[in-house]
Amino acid sequence: MNTAMRPDIQNPPVVIRTSDVSKRFILRKDKALKERIVNFGRSQKHRSDFWALRDVAFEITAGTSVGLVGANGSGKSTMLKIIGGIIQTDTGFVERRGRVAALLELGAGFHPDLTGRENVYLNGSILGLSQKQTAEYFDSIVEFSEIGEFIDTQVKFYSSGMYVRLAFAIAVHVDPDILLVDEVLAVGDEPFQAKCMNKIREFQRDGRTIVFVSHSAPQIEDLCDRVVVLSHGRIVYDGETEGGIAALRRTFKG
Amino acid sequence: MSNEAQRRADRLRELPFERATASFNGSFGSFVRSIREIAGQRELLGLLVRRELKARYKDSSLGFLWSLIRPLTMLVIYYVAIGQFLGAARGVPDFAIFVFAGLTIWGLYSEIVTGGTTSIIGNAGLIKKVSLPREIFPLAATGSALFNFIVQFIVLIVATIVLGQAPLSWNLLYVPASIAIVLIWGVALGLLLSAVNVYLRDVQYLVEVAMLILFWASPIVYAWSFVVDAAARSGITWLTDLYLANPVTIAVLGFQKGMWVAGSSESVIDGQTIPPQPWPADLDLRIAVMLGIGIVFAIICQRVFQKLQGNFAQEI
Ligand SMILES: Nc1ncnc2c1ncn2[C@@H]1O[C@H](COP(=O)(O)OP(=O)(O)OP(=O)(O)O)[C@@H](O)[C@H]1O
Ligand SMILES: [Mg+2]
Repeated sequence: MNTAMRPDIQNPPVVIRTSDVSKRFILRKDKALKERIVNFGRSQKHRSDFWALRDVAFEITAGTSVGLVGANGSGKSTMLKIIGGIIQTDTGFVERRGRVAALLELGAGFHPDLTGRENVYLNGSILGLSQKQTAEYFDSIVEFSEIGEFIDTQVKFYSSGMYVRLAFAIAVHVDPDILLVDEVLAVGDEPFQAKCMNKIREFQRDGRTIVFVSHSAPQIEDLCDRVVVLSHGRIVYDGETEGGIAALRRTFKG
Repeated sequence: MSNEAQRRADRLRELPFERATASFNGSFGSFVRSIREIAGQRELLGLLVRRELKARYKDSSLGFLWSLIRPLTMLVIYYVAIGQFLGAARGVPDFAIFVFAGLTIWGLYSEIVTGGTTSIIGNAGLIKKVSLPREIFPLAATGSALFNFIVQFIVLIVATIVLGQAPLSWNLLYVPASIAIVLIWGVALGLLLSAVNVYLRDVQYLVEVAMLILFWASPIVYAWSFVVDAAARSGITWLTDLYLANPVTIAVLGFQKGMWVAGSSESVIDGQTIPPQPWPADLDLRIAVMLGIGIVFAIICQRVFQKLQGNFAQEI
């Protein structure tokens, strides 16, 4: 079983703690001033809201790899963005400690007009590294991503695989304590996916914490010690991996 | 191996928990905290400014020369069309310096405001993916506007020296004060409008139009003396007060008073004696007031920004 590879950590501290997190999205039909004014009095009709997350509470201890799974639209990406501090909760809160690197829905925050090199520095800086620190990691980032001379090409000319390669390479080279991964590996080719898996295993041995969103049951079974299943924004299962996959299948049936 | 894991765990146990998103509590302390947060991201800010400048001129062969070509073209247009054809130059000594001074300080303001307004939308890619104090984006727009301003400012200084009009007097003190007004008001508006623009995309077009109008509401291509004369002729004295209620107008006047020496002395053009500019008597006081109100306004704008920024990533 994969958990056998995990290092023993005595008394592992909690690194992510979510407390009754709820998130409501308000869906407006329009953003233009004209419609806003025309519909002013009847604005209730032109907005509907729904809860993407409802009272989600869990704690993650250092060194665990948690798979966050659920049907499309169940709120996985939303939860990850909340943990990453990119969107706010409506109720409840998320607390965390340690450096967080996030690979959210198709990659890191890159600026399309800048080269790969410049984006590496930009992202390093966003993750709290100084220019000097980034410079130290730079060569291994490029090497890991295998994008070679394209590092000096504007990222808008990258293929989606190259984009994710660079994003993943940056995220794993900045020494994060917590890694958030949202389905990004799917676009990499087979050798690169394998390379990423190896890197993730190495991360697990280092005792880093990983929250992993994926639709691939084999990947989840392979990597995670624990699975949290979301359905319509609520946790319907939280426990060991095998039961998690079964619970996930049950949510598909209704 | 497992030693490393244990060490990491032990280190993490000592760290305090941090909220994933700083929740806004509406106190003055949060303003100070925001400033401290942003100061902690100076290096990132510098990178973003450079990025902004680079991204803008990246694909052009003349590069950053374009930041000069635009204002110089405007100078020529206004010099010829307004100065010569419409005859404004007959009442304004050293018309070229006068216009370029006005264009330079106005350019700073309009670039901060228009660049700031679109800065959040324009950085959607980053805002949706990474968590950082979002004030950084309007501030980066300000930084790149400042860069362009400095380039123009140097050209202006060189021009005054070449034309034998070096602005060496105590009036030069008006220059930093005017720049400060423009920065404070520009950043405040940039913050406010960038946030509102996320929810109401019309704002950016509205700003463009407003800037067109405001350009003519300050004495940039016509002199302040024209305004005074017009107000006197019409007999409505509060007109000049209304005109001076605009912070940018005060900044433009201060900047001109500092940089355009010919405006402060009597001069002769085509045999006609032109009196010095009737600078507002209480210009110093007005500058101080505009600075004071500007700071309060900036604090309010930053608060509004904080209130709105929580939902940026999902609204873009
Ligand atoms: N910015 C937004 N504005 C409005 N609704 C949103 C926004 N982001 C997400 N939602 C809604 O929230 C719900 C959950 O979305 P989320 O992206 O978290 O799903 P997911 O579990 O990641 O799905 P998938 O497996 O397809 O990636 C969806 O119904 C989606 O439409
Ligand atoms: Mg998703």
